[in-house]
Amino acid sequence: MKREEDWVIEAQNVSYTYDGNTKRALDGLNLRIRRGTKVAFMGGNGSGKSTFFLCLNGIRKPEDGRICIEGEPIEYTRKGLLAVRSKVGIVFQEPDDQLFSASVYEEISFGILNLGVDESTARREVESVIEELEITPFQDRPAHALSGGQKKQVAIADILVMHPEVMILDEPAAALDPKHTKKVQEIIDGLTDKGITVLMATHDIDYAYAWADEIVLMQEGKVIRQGAPAEVCADRTALTEAGLEVPAVLRIYERLREKGLLSGEAVPPRNVDGLVEIL
Amino acid sequence: MLLIDKLSYQSKLRYINASEKLVYAVLTLVLCILSRSVKVAVLVFTVNGILIVGKGGIPLFRYIKLLTIPLAFLAAGTAAIMINISKMPLDAFAFSVGEWYITGSRNGLYQGWKLCATALAAVTCLYFLSLNTVMTDILGACRKLRLPSLLIELMLLIYRFIFVLFETASSIMISQQSRLGNRDFKTRVRSFGALGTSLFILSLKRSNALYDAMESRCYDGRIQVLSREQPVRVGEVVMIVLYEAVLIAVWFCL
Repeated sequence: MKREEDWVIEAQNVSYTYDGNTKRALDGLNLRIRRGTKVAFMGGNGSGKSTFFLCLNGIRKPEDGRICIEGEPIEYTRKGLLAVRSKVGIVFQEPDDQLFSASVYEEISFGILNLGVDESTARREVESVIEELEITPFQDRPAHALSGGQKKQVAIADILVMHPEVMILDEPAAALDPKHTKKVQEIIDGLTDKGITVLMATHDIDYAYAWADEIVLMQEGKVIRQGAPAEVCADRTALTEAGLEVPAVLRIYERLREKGLLSGEAVPPRNVDGLVEIL
Repeated sequence: MLLIDKLSYQSKLRYINASEKLVYAVLTLVLCILSRSVKVAVLVFTVNGILIVGKGGIPLFRYIKLLTIPLAFLAAGTAAIMINISKMPLDAFAFSVGEWYITGSRNGLYQGWKLCATALAAVTCLYFLSLNTVMTDILGACRKLRLPSLLIELMLLIYRFIFVLFETASSIMISQQSRLGNRDFKTRVRSFGALGTSLFILSLKRSNALYDAMESRCYDGRIQVLSREQPVRVGEVVMIVLYEAVLIAVWFCL
């Protein structure tokens, strides 16, 4: 018998409508996520990704359905919300919406102090996260003098310092240059190594295909497909429905096989390096 | 203001304990105003100048430019004291204009000069603080001095979002200009109105987003943060105490 699955997030039939809107932002969404996995959320703008993320740590309360974190339904009381928010952290898409203090050090200390730890522990944690995410070179600069990538690093440190079980990143690479995108991706890989479950909204199918354990396709407030990248990308109707292309690597690989240039039982490569290796 | 902010991050005195600098600036300021003594004022003006330009490394021309800002206010204020309009000429000077005199008394001139010196010296105290201390450090020092937390939280948010607001405003302005939004006076006025409206809406949106982001980090209505502090150095404290003592001595003895 297989051991019982360790679901860190379970959402059942979750619905949510923004005030004054007639259309539901989330419309009976069902989803389960295993602990420690890397999940890419994909779907067009307005497909409900961000709204769902806000539901996951209790900022928005679903009008219908329920969300369980580590098996426990979210309780919308002060204490319950505190518990949920200490387990699930969100790195928002726009760092300027998240960073409220001009001082990097103060900014990072905010979350951990709210968890009620004592000052010396908080200082230690803040300093270790500053070192870990390589924020040291610009830690004494004001927030308004940081580049977009540096702001993003601080935004991730904001959450990481709280040691969440689940970390949500809403389009972390939006508006970053390639160098900082790489840097942020390295940081994200580090999160997984720590056993943190990472949920990421992204529009980059190539990256999602290479990185994720699971891809969740969303459209109009529903999950239309969830599964391993290979499975999801094999479902061309679902991809088209979500407005996505087939990953470039996969397309080239399939074309090469069609042309008879590749043979054998090789598993489709996840990234360019994998493809090069097969060739 | 943005210039002062930039300079404060480059100051060589930036990493001196902020409470020390705050106490120094406020004490000196208070002594200046209480004493109303020209000698104290001259001493304070000179010492602050040396500290800001010599020790802090703020470029001299920048400092002089900053000092000219309050001059206009000062001129208007002292003119009111020095110059009178009356039917009787006073002892210092008098120009007759018909039946009236534009005139001033010796005492008035002296008062005006005293006011001028005191005000300028007081301004240098504030410049010392703001040119050598980063805003977040000033807030940290205010926290130490147990100022009301509501006040400090407001200052913290305002300081951060002034810059966000400026950035947003300037990008909207650029996009207006790139669409000929300042072609003539009429369009310029209309563009400016539109800028105000959209800034207001964007600010509201932004504050909602910020609140969500803070809530998701367990915000409970109090902004608690840790600031990094530079150690208090005994030598510096002794210097400050001595200096204030000298000021008091100058005030009473000279």
